Amino acid sequence: MERRSFFVAALATTFLTMPAFAADVPEGVTLAEEQTFTYRILDEFSSFDPQLIEDTYGSDIARDLFEGLYNQDSDGNIVPGVALNHEASADNLTYTFTLRDDAKWSDGTPVTAGDFVYAWQRAVTPELASPYAWYMELMSIENGAAIIAGEMEPTALGVSAPDDTTLVVNLSQPLPYFNKMVTHATTFPAPKWAIEEHGAQWTRPGNLVSNGAYVLKEHVPKERSVRARNEMYWDNENTVLETVTTLVIGDDAQGLTRWRAGEVDMTDIPAGQYPALANEFPDEAFAVPRLCNYYFNFNLASGPEAFQDVRVRQALAMALDREVIVDRVLQGGQFPAFTFTPAATAGFDVPDVDIAAMTQADRDARAKELLTEAGYGEGGEPLSFTYLYNTNEAHQQVAIVATQMWKQKLGVDVTLENQEWKVFLETRGAQNFDMARGAWCGDYNEASTFLDLLTTESGYNDAKFSNARVDELMADAKSSSDPQPLYTEVEQILAAEMPVIPIYHYSTNLMLSDAIQGWPINNVEQNWYAKDLYRVAE
Amino acid sequence: MLNYTLRRLLMVVPTLLILVIFAFYLMRLAPGGPFTSERPLPPAVMANVLERYGMDEPLHVQLWTYVSNIVCCFDFGPSFSQKDRSVNDVIAQGFPVTLTYGFWSAVFVLLLGVPLGIIAALRHNGFWDYTMTGLAIFSQIFPNFVLAPLLVLLFTLSWGLLPGGGWNGGQWQYIVMPAIALGTSYMASVARLTRGSMLEVLGSPYIRTARAKGLPERTIILRHALKPALLPTLTYMGPVFVYMITGSVFVDVFFSTGGIGQDFINGAYSRDYAILLGLAILYAVLTFVLTLMVDLLYAWIDPKVRAGLS
Repeated sequence: MERRSFFVAALATTFLTMPAFAADVPEGVTLAEEQTFTYRILDEFSSFDPQLIEDTYGSDIARDLFEGLYNQDSDGNIVPGVALNHEASADNLTYTFTLRDDAKWSDGTPVTAGDFVYAWQRAVTPELASPYAWYMELMSIENGAAIIAGEMEPTALGVSAPDDTTLVVNLSQPLPYFNKMVTHATTFPAPKWAIEEHGAQWTRPGNLVSNGAYVLKEHVPKERSVRARNEMYWDNENTVLETVTTLVIGDDAQGLTRWRAGEVDMTDIPAGQYPALANEFPDEAFAVPRLCNYYFNFNLASGPEAFQDVRVRQALAMALDREVIVDRVLQGGQFPAFTFTPAATAGFDVPDVDIAAMTQADRDARAKELLTEAGYGEGGEPLSFTYLYNTNEAHQQVAIVATQMWKQKLGVDVTLENQEWKVFLETRGAQNFDMARGAWCGDYNEASTFLDLLTTESGYNDAKFSNARVDELMADAKSSSDPQPLYTEVEQILAAEMPVIPIYHYSTNLMLSDAIQGWPINNVEQNWYAKDLYRVAE
Repeated sequence: MLNYTLRRLLMVVPTLLILVIFAFYLMRLAPGGPFTSERPLPPAVMANVLERYGMDEPLHVQLWTYVSNIVCCFDFGPSFSQKDRSVNDVIAQGFPVTLTYGFWSAVFVLLLGVPLGIIAALRHNGFWDYTMTGLAIFSQIFPNFVLAPLLVLLFTLSWGLLPGGGWNGGQWQYIVMPAIALGTSYMASVARLTRGSMLEVLGSPYIRTARAKGLPERTIILRHALKPALLPTLTYMGPVFVYMITGSVFVDVFFSTGGIGQDFINGAYSRDYAILLGLAILYAVLTFVLTLMVDLLYAWIDPKVRAGLS
């Protein structure tokens, strides 16, 4: 079998020169005596159990407590974790990971390939009923879907451990980005002995055995959780922060107040306050690209008849001045969008699409023409529809501005309707809307995490867009060694068909104390590891 | 009296049952469920999740299981949103927090409200009366969501005296602001109530008699007037304490105390039926116990009521 080694080149260059997978304290920097980091989250997280976690906050904590096969560096590139490297078979269906032999659990037990096999089987076990079992399906691990459906035993999962430092994964279809997916919490190893001893209580402080740079010290639900350095971690000597504290603060403004008071080192910036804060704290207010998009769905299945006409969809898309929405309304460093995939996505070159190249004045003029050609607007049939969004101040502002633009430029009447989050999800999922807000954050840093959404089979395709060529291109991309041309064509089809109107790509807005260094500002997934951070003396 | 108490306690059971049935079906009427998410779960995953929480059964079966688990094992089921914890865990952790600062808030209400009311009554229509009454009205129109940020602005940001939130095991610094924010408007009511009843008592014939006897003013007020004047206030505090505990949602969220109010909000947003039902039952029991205590207190104070009971 012909094999190619993913990390051969990387090992020779990157890993020897750049210790990017530990706190990288430059010479001459004076570290603070108390190496602590306290940050604020909005809500209590779902769990400490890697296979049950289903939220960002929980995943952030899991990356400190546990270590998966690979980690990410400050730019979002994958770097060794428990695995040193891997080899993929020529058909990209078998991945063989080589694990380091010095990794230990916090109770001193060595971390073995078997711990990963156990965890992955656990994630798809129907009895555990993990909502994130779908992630294992997404990873295309052999028999994953059948096990979730209860048709096969968990032991049939395509993952095995021939010895303690070798993990073999069999996929049901090739995935060029498979290696990027193993930085996700669902794939972290699990300590079988601790879970069997304590049952559901295994995640309590004192019971929780973990293999990451930190161990769980204290947990007061809805108030705080504290993690402390794990002396057993293989790279413990390069860890700088001693304790990391998560505080739950359910109010954005209060989070900012407590940041000002020095009680937390990091918090989100409340909507609309970025410009003022960036002015007041130029070194501590950040707006960085984030792997999420914001768009409007046309209901192509049961929406207004007018939406079936691509000229109407194009006209509505063109009449929106994204610069105004981003710079005047949101003011948080977001990026105007003309493609579905954010420019910040790794390995993705933003393709040329016509609408992006035009000036707004040209777009407005073209929008008018298109709408008139379609027989709507001035001199034609009046066009009116309802726009549905979930109740939120920022979404409301975007909705108001967009409908004003449509009204003024095209004479289109739009009624606004907002619903509470879960009501909204039900309504949108049942296609009970004309046009509805949509947003998507990447599950991994690759364009398919966005573009797959607009394939016919996708469960998240609320526009009910169906295009055979798009389906074909996205299927081909799975086995292609260079999918970029395929993604370019998909984006061009989307720009021509306009089943959804891309509005902007998100940014992360956060206040981060300048005493905390090592934050992965350039990692668009904002996957941070406390072991890479350090506190400098003020 | 004993008969009456027993009868009232027996009433709790059917009332709670009706409440559970009503709340159970009412919650299910709201669109969306605990597992509705931005990325809809694939059907096979959803089936496993529903089975895990017994939600694949018909509603009446779920209700029966829920009630029997409570009756047999005092088990209020697992939380849907906090995957590592049961409803019992959630309440056992959050309720003592809310109860603690609720208690200190009640102490604050009484310690400040009663003297304010008394001073106002003693200086009836004088400068102090107007000041106290003004202050009381001012506090009453200050809802906690206005007062709380103001307190933080002063005590945390400007003076750096108190932490802006958190609980930290219930150290006093963390209790002060939640207690004040929660209690201030009730304190105002107590002050006005005390003032009113004190004025009434001070105008009654037996106080005039006491004055005529030449008793010192201090004795008249502390020994003869205060006790009867306080009775309406004390009976008022029973339901107020329940309001304070159940109405602590904003204070809990704002000061991040980890109290039970946060669970009510999050439970509603995440459609965590188990948490919501558990809290509804807790609040109902609390209301029952405290109103019963107030009724008994009334009976103990007022012979006419006592006669009516037996």
